[in-house]
Amino acid sequence: MSNTTVAINITPGEHIHWHLFGVTLNGDTITSTLIAGGIVLLLGFLVRRKASAREPTKLQLAFEAVVQYVEKQVEDTMGIKTAPFVVPLAMALFLFIFISNLLAIVPTGHHPEYAPPPASDVNLTYALAVLVIGTMHVVGIRKKGLRGYYGHLFRKPYLLIPLNIIEEIMKPVTLSLRLFGNIFAGTIMVALIAAMPAVILWLPDILWKLFDAFIGLIQAFIFALLTIIYFSSVAPAKEGASH
Amino acid sequence: MAHHTELAAGNFLVPNATFIAEFIAFLLILLIIARYILPRVEGPLRERQEIIRKQMEDSDEAKRKLAEAEEKYKAALVEAREEAAQIREHARAEAQRTIEELRAQALEEQARIIARGEEQLATQRNAIVRELRTEIGTLAVELSEKIIDQRLSDDAQVRATVDSFIAGLEAQDIAQAGSQS
Repeated sequence: MSNTTVAINITPGEHIHWHLFGVTLNGDTITSTLIAGGIVLLLGFLVRRKASAREPTKLQLAFEAVVQYVEKQVEDTMGIKTAPFVVPLAMALFLFIFISNLLAIVPTGHHPEYAPPPASDVNLTYALAVLVIGTMHVVGIRKKGLRGYYGHLFRKPYLLIPLNIIEEIMKPVTLSLRLFGNIFAGTIMVALIAAMPAVILWLPDILWKLFDAFIGLIQAFIFALLTIIYFSSVAPAKEGASH
Repeated sequence: MAHHTELAAGNFLVPNATFIAEFIAFLLILLIIARYILPRVEGPLRERQEIIRKQMEDSDEAKRKLAEAEEKYKAALVEAREEAAQIREHARAEAQRTIEELRAQALEEQARIIARGEEQLATQRNAIVRELRTEIGTLAVELSEKIIDQRLSDDAQVRATVDSFIAGLEAQDIAQAGSQS
């Protein structure tokens, strides 16, 4: 196998395709989504089964740490009472994206991988971003009315109105592509390292995968945090606070 | 279900139907977490926070009670010391009084003993005087005999002689009583 072949093999957008009822689905993404989701729910139900106030398990403490952090962030940015549903949303996003990204560490030895990190497919990241930003708009309009919710875009200075609108439109794009770019780049790095001679590739492979796990954590954290921050726009406006 | 690899025909940033599948999948995960998992994490968390809050409150309460008890203890100690001092003072005064009482009693006793002694002496002396007076008759007879023997010529001389004899006897009695007491 020559290096050129490997380089061709990592062509972006290459997926295992399933054809179902006339539509094409990226089977690898769906598989890994199900695996990651399964792991998250399995861990969640393990916690649920043994949850206790006096004798928490380590897993329970980990979940509690996530919940506490999310609750604190939500409380600080908008107040939990403004949008209590943001807590489970941010928690689910963080746990799911984190576990998903960790799948990047596990190789299946097939090309393309049977279970690549699902966030290396824009379909997942778009879906998450649309869910988050869509919910944000719906809740914002329902809470503050059309004029009230979008009013802050059209405030003085008028010169910035186009920028405000672009920023609003860009929110889902940046949210999804940031995650996609980071994780997708990770898979490309692994493919590049795999092109190295077998004698030395293990060292950069180990180092990269450790780093990649860290990136996975950071990206999950950023996605959840940005979700919370974006949702703060549905909170009642404080005078002079929004711009 | 066809299962094969394809190179992406177009731009890899363009989504396909997988989008819908992913959307639904995450929505399900979100709903399950929100409905079943989050409450079971939050519940014990709140409960533990409540327990900790209560324990801290209890601890504060215990500290307060301890301080209170210490305060009471100190107060009681001071009181006890005062009381002890009072008792000591009282005891000293009592002892002093007892001593004085006993001394007064002793003096009284002494005076009584002395008085009784004197009384006894006086009684004895009187008895002796009485006894002597009864003996005076005998003595007088003896004296008369002596006078007769001397062939008394003068009455006055005789009376003087008797008087001086009696005076001599009385002087002897007083001297005897004085040496006895």
